[in-house]
Order: sequence, then C-alpha cells, then structure tokens
Amino acid sequence: MERETQALARGLRRRDPDLLDRLIEQYQYRLLRYLLYLTGSREAAEDFFQETWVRVIDRGHQYNGKFKFETWLFTIARNLVIDFRRRKTAGSLDALSEPGEGQPMAEPAAPDNLSPADLAAAHEESERIWAALVRLPAFYREVLLLRFQEDLSLEEIAAVVAAPLSTVKSRLYRGLSELREKLETEKV
Amino acid sequence: MSENDHERAERLILGDWVEGLSPTDHQWVNRHLETCARCSKFADSAEQALRRLRSVSVRVDPVLVRATRLRLHARALELHERRVQLTMLWISCALSWVLGALSAPFVWRAFAWLGERSRIPAFAWQLGFALWWTLPAVAVTVVFVMRRTRAENRL
Repeated sequence: MERETQALARGLRRRDPDLLDRLIEQYQYRLLRYLLYLTGSREAAEDFFQETWVRVIDRGHQYNGKFKFETWLFTIARNLVIDFRRRKTAGSLDALSEPGEGQPMAEPAAPDNLSPADLAAAHEESERIWAALVRLPAFYREVLLLRFQEDLSLEEIAAVVAAPLSTVKSRLYRGLSELREKLETEKV
Repeated sequence: MSENDHERAERLILGDWVEGLSPTDHQWVNRHLETCARCSKFADSAEQALRRLRSVSVRVDPVLVRATRLRLHARALELHERRVQLTMLWISCALSWVLGALSAPFVWRAFAWLGERSRIPAFAWQLGFALWWTLPAVAVTVVFVMRRTRAENRL
C-alpha cells in the first residue's frame, strides 16, 4: 500500500491529468457523501466538491503518502468548509449543524429491479434517515460517517478531524446514542 | 439488576460498535443481554440505527463530475503555464544579476564621473548607485509577493 501512496504522491506532484481523472472517478461518491454529512446541504456540498479537487491539484505537492489518500482528501475538504464558515460567520464546524434547504441530500440507489412502489418506499426511508441525521450536530454526523460508512480507524478519524482520540471516541458514543434515540423516539 | 448495570451495558453496547470490546466485557454484556429485555431492546435499536445509517446513499450528478474534471484540467494547464513563466522570471533575474555584477565597476565609475561633473556630494551619487543596484531586485520581490498573495487569496 505504501508503494501505491508514494506513486500517488509523485503523480500529484506532477499534476498528472490522467491520475486526477482516475482519482475523481474513484473518490467522487465518497467525497460528496462526506461533504453532504459535513454541510447538511447538497448545494454547498457540490460547491465544496469542486473546490476540494481544485485544492488537491494546488496542494498536491503536500501529499507525502504517509496517510491514505482519502484521509488527506477528507482533511482538505474539512479545512475548506471550516475556512469558508470562519470567513462567513467566524464560526467553526459547530455552525454546520443546520439542515440544508432545497434539493434532497440523499437519494436511494435505484437499481432496475426496484418497482416504483419499492423505489418510493426507499425514497421515504432515505428521507427519514436524513431528517434524523441533519438534526445531529455536524461533528457527530462527520465521525459517524467516517467510522461506519468509510470504515476508517479511530486514529485515521482523529487525523481527519484534527482532534484527540478521546474526543473522537466521545463524539462517536454520543453521536451513535443520539442517532439511535432520534430514530427510535420518532419511530421513523 | 441495578441501574448501574444497565448504564454499563448500554455503554458497552455502543462501545462494541465504536471501538470493540475486550473478551471479558463481551462476555459480561452478552450475559446481561440474556436476562435484560430493556438492554436487549437498546442493543437492537442501536444495531438498527447503524444498519439504517449504512443504507444511506447519495447520488453524484454526472454533470458535476464533468464540470469538475474540466475545471481541474484548466487549472492544471494554468499552473503549468505559471510555472513556465516563473522559470523564465528566475532565469531573467539570474542573467540580470550576472550582468549587473559584471558591469558594476563601470557603472560605479560612471556614477562617480557624473557626481564630479554635476558637483553633487559623494553620498548622493553613491546612494544613486545603490538604488540602481537594488531597485531591480526590489521590483522582482514585489512582483513575487504580489503573485503569491493573489494565489493565496484564490485558495
């Protein structure tokens, strides 16, 4: 794996266009999902999606291959969101807990074998889960995603969110507990 | 069964998902769950919450991906051109410095001659010579700083 990340680091330093295309292809879904969790808004997530990739190309020389690429990518995306928020509201990630408006954030995957009724049910379920998720503070949503959807280790999550391991664990405990409560009490 | 037992069980149930449990804790919580309906329900709902969380999927708009690719290619080209310009600037600076160093004795004499002819104090023409020597470097530094500031503002 180390050899792979080193090759990646060299490609990023060269700003190899083919490598960038491959990276976008490979990480588009995960990056957008992370940004959706972080911002709670599809519009904002899509804006930050582009900006994150631009920053990847601008700062590609800073990737040293010590961490997995996704850890570095998520850190860039996170810093971008926080910088933007700081400039706008002098806030931090805490200010990102407000749900977004407009387009729905999550949409169920729509395989061909789903009937319209099943698809509608899947839509409803997705919306219900998002409704519960967006009411969680952003820093809980973020660690829940990194742990349970990205399957990152606790150490990797600590590197992404730039917080001590103990903070990460406590956010995970509280986030999971709150999510369970919200889904349970609302019977969604 | 005390309230402490329930609290411990709930913490361990979440802990199992978050960071895993030691065999002893695992054994304890399993024994507790066999006899406690309340904590079993808690464990089920935690598992269900996680399952539902994992089922969330998002749709990536292909137009967004295409637009991002185009923007990145344009940016890569722009950065490449900027690097070429920067290299040219460095080469010009180096050449200018070499020429400046080689011509310095002649320019010094020219300044001294002009100073004598126009009867201005020595420090004045020496200051003129110093400015002639340093101004190009100052100008280049200003250009570099301005470019860097502009680049940082864009990020």
